[in-house]
Amino acid sequence: MKGYLGIDVGSVSTNIVFMDEDTHVLESLYLRTNGQPVVTVQRGLKQMRSQLPANTLVKGVGTTGSGRQLTGIVAGADAIKNEITAHAVAASHLVPGVQTVLEIGGQDSKIIILRDGVVADFAMNTVCAAGTGSFLDQQASRLNIAIEEFGDLALKGNAPVRIAGRCAVFAESDMIHKQQMGFNLEDILAGLCEALVRNYLNNVGKGKEILGPVVFQGGVAANVGMRKAFERALGIEVQIPKYFNVMGAVGAALLAKEAVSRGVPTRFKGFSVADREYKAGSFECDGCPNLCEVIEMAESGQVIARWGDRCGKWATALAAREAAI
Amino acid sequence: MPIRVGIPRALLYYYYFPLWQDFLQRLGAEVVVSDLTTKGILTRGVEHCVDEACLPIKLAFGHVKNLVDKKVDAIFLPRMVSVAQGEYICPKFLGFPDMVKQNVPGLPTVIDTAINVRKKQQDIHRFTREVGVHFNKGAVKSWLAYQRSLPIHIRYTKLLEQGHLPDEAVAVLAGKKPKALAETDLKVAVIGHPYNIYDPFISMNLISRLRKSGVKVITADNLTEQMVSQGVKRLPKKLFWTLSRRMTGGALTLHDTNAVDGIIHVAAFACGPDSMTGELIERFIRRDRKVPFMNINLDEHTGEAGVVTRLEAFLDMVRWRRQAV
Repeated sequence: MKGYLGIDVGSVSTNIVFMDEDTHVLESLYLRTNGQPVVTVQRGLKQMRSQLPANTLVKGVGTTGSGRQLTGIVAGADAIKNEITAHAVAASHLVPGVQTVLEIGGQDSKIIILRDGVVADFAMNTVCAAGTGSFLDQQASRLNIAIEEFGDLALKGNAPVRIAGRCAVFAESDMIHKQQMGFNLEDILAGLCEALVRNYLNNVGKGKEILGPVVFQGGVAANVGMRKAFERALGIEVQIPKYFNVMGAVGAALLAKEAVSRGVPTRFKGFSVADREYKAGSFECDGCPNLCEVIEMAESGQVIARWGDRCGKWATALAAREAAI
Repeated sequence: MPIRVGIPRALLYYYYFPLWQDFLQRLGAEVVVSDLTTKGILTRGVEHCVDEACLPIKLAFGHVKNLVDKKVDAIFLPRMVSVAQGEYICPKFLGFPDMVKQNVPGLPTVIDTAINVRKKQQDIHRFTREVGVHFNKGAVKSWLAYQRSLPIHIRYTKLLEQGHLPDEAVAVLAGKKPKALAETDLKVAVIGHPYNIYDPFISMNLISRLRKSGVKVITADNLTEQMVSQGVKRLPKKLFWTLSRRMTGGALTLHDTNAVDGIIHVAAFACGPDSMTGELIERFIRRDRKVPFMNINLDEHTGEAGVVTRLEAFLDMVRWRRQAV
């Protein structure tokens, strides 16, 4: 079997998909990153290898998400793309004609506007994490309920409580106040969903023309309460694609397919990267008062990549050495 | 021994440095410029400045401190009230010399003569006379010195209009050959206050990142006054902030004449005028949906991931849209 791997390394989850040559998703994995991107990718690749037939040939690899550079180096990626492009590519592939993509992940949220199959506009949340998945995560744990049950419970609320969603800190004090007043849990949860949607539409979706078909993806799309809240606020149906929680990886696999379509051989280092030893380290460069934190990635004791230096002194030194070899 | 006068590499340095340097030298000063922005300079600025000030003012404090550390005899901080008839510079510039005098310990003489030509151009007489006093020069000598410096300013402005960025234009004036730029396939306008977009540290290398990605960068300062006034004609009333007028007029002209493939607006955190002009420009541009637009917010944070992701996605979008046409 031949196909493409897509890897999305986000702040909260790491997702890997395997897609066959006809772009059907055959396998998908959703893992928690737990702050260890490389280890998680290695674990994922190991798991993916065991799920795929032994004769599988990987024709191309794409990486995306905030850990895309790091993973791209470790795995040997053919396409390293930002998550906005990856999500847009995946959505327009799986839901042809989509005009709006709502994506809410762990620490960021974005809106992508497509017209005639092309990205026309996009926005990401700014300096604040209100309106992202971690807001719901926090409040769920404060209320002592599993995040998986959140959505179903919120659906049972029939009189959503008004909660300030502008800031996660104020939302919490608002919510505590409402609890003390005696509102029931379901209505508070439904209110939280509405608050998040309101904040998302005011902040990320500000000034955007939201037209159907609307696709809702990212980890938070698992929450049915959120979907309902979006539908109520927008007045249009919101679709949740089958692979909603691994859409970034799907997009990365599609981009990998495109990258190798011009006959370039893949740079994939093979599933054996799962068994190699990678070590990331960092040091503070004292070459100037910028005091950049330079990060180094070593594969079996050999430094294979460096980044984080503003002037590029360390990164280029390594590139120059590579060129010399 | 000549008087060593420091000019901070901040605020309107990017518009007036060649003029001020030449003028001060003609009065007999030795001009010292503060160092390129580093994390250290910004940190010092934040330490000494009042909390409510905007990012550019905080940074300017850091540059003043840097000059204090260089043990200059005087610091040149003209009180920038108005540089064009009927227009104003942001009120924070007006109060900047006072803020500095109240908050920075160990200051040498501060030359804070006002520049205010809002009512009449001739007010510049008073400016040259008052600055001259610091160098024991009479009114006539000072006025002549200023007149003799003006051709430099005109040459500098011309160089900017020819597409050079301030640091390149300063280098050309100093007799260096302009650097040849790499091949580009896109033209993108970067619209923002000069002290934000031209400072590589504060803008997180925005312009050089774009250039590396095959983009020719155009800023509002590369346009003639005529082009700027063409752009602001669309506004329902006069914009009396000089810098905002240039940014808005520049953006709208570049948009209306299809001169660019995309427009990026750069705003600094806590900047009052930015929050208004950004919105103004965005509304006019989105109305036509002709040119892709993106807003980037700058703050004290040094994490570059956010800016990099947005830039990559923006360029993907611009290129993708162009292919689709």
